[in-house]
Amino acid sequence: MASTSVIKVRNLHKRFKDPAHRGEWLHVIQGVDLDVEPGQVVVIIGRSGAGKSTLLRCLNFLEDPDEGTVEIDGVEIRAGEHNRERTRQVIEIRMKAGMVFQSFNLFPHMTALENVVEALITVKKWSREQAIAKAEEELKWVGLLDKRDEYPIRLSGGQQQRIAIARSLAMEPKIMLFDEPTSALDPELIGEVVEVMERLAREGMTMVVVSHEMHFVRDVANRVIFMDDGLFIEDAPPSVMFTRPQDERTRQFLTHIL
Amino acid sequence: MNRSYVLRLALVWVAIFLLLAGAFRLLEFDLAFMSHWVGFLFQGIGYTIIVSAISIFFAVILALIGALARLSRNPVANGISTFYVSFVRGTPLLVQVYMIYLGLPQVGQSLETLGVKMMGTGAPAWVPGLFAWLAGLFVLDAIPSGILALSINYGAYMTETFRAGIQSIHGGQREAALALGMTPAQCMRRIILPQALRIVIPPVGNDFIAMLKDSSLVSLMGVMELTWRAQKVGRRYFRSLELLTIAALFYWIMTIALQTVQGRIEERLGRGRQR
Repeated sequence: MASTSVIKVRNLHKRFKDPAHRGEWLHVIQGVDLDVEPGQVVVIIGRSGAGKSTLLRCLNFLEDPDEGTVEIDGVEIRAGEHNRERTRQVIEIRMKAGMVFQSFNLFPHMTALENVVEALITVKKWSREQAIAKAEEELKWVGLLDKRDEYPIRLSGGQQQRIAIARSLAMEPKIMLFDEPTSALDPELIGEVVEVMERLAREGMTMVVVSHEMHFVRDVANRVIFMDDGLFIEDAPPSVMFTRPQDERTRQFLTHIL
Repeated sequence: MNRSYVLRLALVWVAIFLLLAGAFRLLEFDLAFMSHWVGFLFQGIGYTIIVSAISIFFAVILALIGALARLSRNPVANGISTFYVSFVRGTPLLVQVYMIYLGLPQVGQSLETLGVKMMGTGAPAWVPGLFAWLAGLFVLDAIPSGILALSINYGAYMTETFRAGIQSIHGGQREAALALGMTPAQCMRRIILPQALRIVIPPVGNDFIAMLKDSSLVSLMGVMELTWRAQKVGRRYFRSLELLTIAALFYWIMTIALQTVQGRIEERLGRGRQR
């Protein structure tokens, strides 16, 4: 049977130089397999340093995997290959996989609208009018069309993150990666970002989310993956994960966050 | 700062000027002589400003290329850039000025000799002509020599400024741009450089002010700028102090004016970034 997965990861490894011990390496991801079906919402949880963010960043090659293969929507890249073809494929994957960061990373020298317009023009080569129309549509979708001409510094963290989401969505990605999207927000601003993410999930977007935002995990996720020491320890629907965790490590971790 | 402090500060300045005026009297400054030559010196300001403005333009371009090369992973580009910065910052501007004005013609002469030597060796007939033409490029007039020296010198210092400016942009900016599918070059041009340039405007402004004063060194090449005029006339009539004082005042006024302009620019740039 042909695979329907939109994300297919096989035997992924990533090592970093150990900053504390010269010449030694930290094995941050120790051979991970992951299949995500279209429309699935996968949340990765685990303690800090477990490799969650690194895994996410390997999916769009902000980190270069050391071993294994990553396939996003039919574009497959094998670790260790470096050539012109690969450079092209990486950009193709990045256009298919939108990413939202913990620190928003809006471009501070551009208005909200310009932030969304930018890649449509430089990457997708759209005309300016076309790009602006699309950007306005996305800003409206996240409820911030009235802020189109504001610079990021004049917006709240929640507003900045929603614009960052609009910026990614404007590229019409096949999947969305969220790297702790609410961790840098004041508690009262988390809701508005989660609301946008929930809406996105309901519209059928395939999402991989690193987050401990329990409200989102419980209500929206189809799968929760508990990661520890660079490995998937447990992969289950939230109802199963939170009521009948199989592994002792999962159980221990859940007592901290529930 | 309270008002009485400001008042006392002003009084000190006034006292300094009065003392200087007294000193000039004792030294029998010839005011009529000074006012006769002030116009001649004033005409030198044009050269000073033109040389500085063109030099800062080329220095910015050199610095931009130097900084990008310095930050690239290409060992050749990186090597050339680090050598350039290290050598230029490690040698006096005066030596560089002389190397360009006096040293380059010697290079040209050697090239010409080389071409002549090749005439009997079976090389095509146009080779000596080419060498002679190349030799001509190495003999520069005073003003281009001065611009070249100042551009190269300030380009090296500003390479470090630009490098620091680019590196000060948070890594998340690059990641966000790449994650959207931009190439590293697009990311640099559209995201990093516009932010970095804004950061380096104040130090580049300072460099421009410093360059205005260092441009006096090109008087050594015979550019008829402010310092050259003051020196020539002063020596002839043994009234150097008077004329150098005028030149100094001109430089001072120009730097004060530039500092004001710089302050305005910074204020304007800061506006978009304030809440």
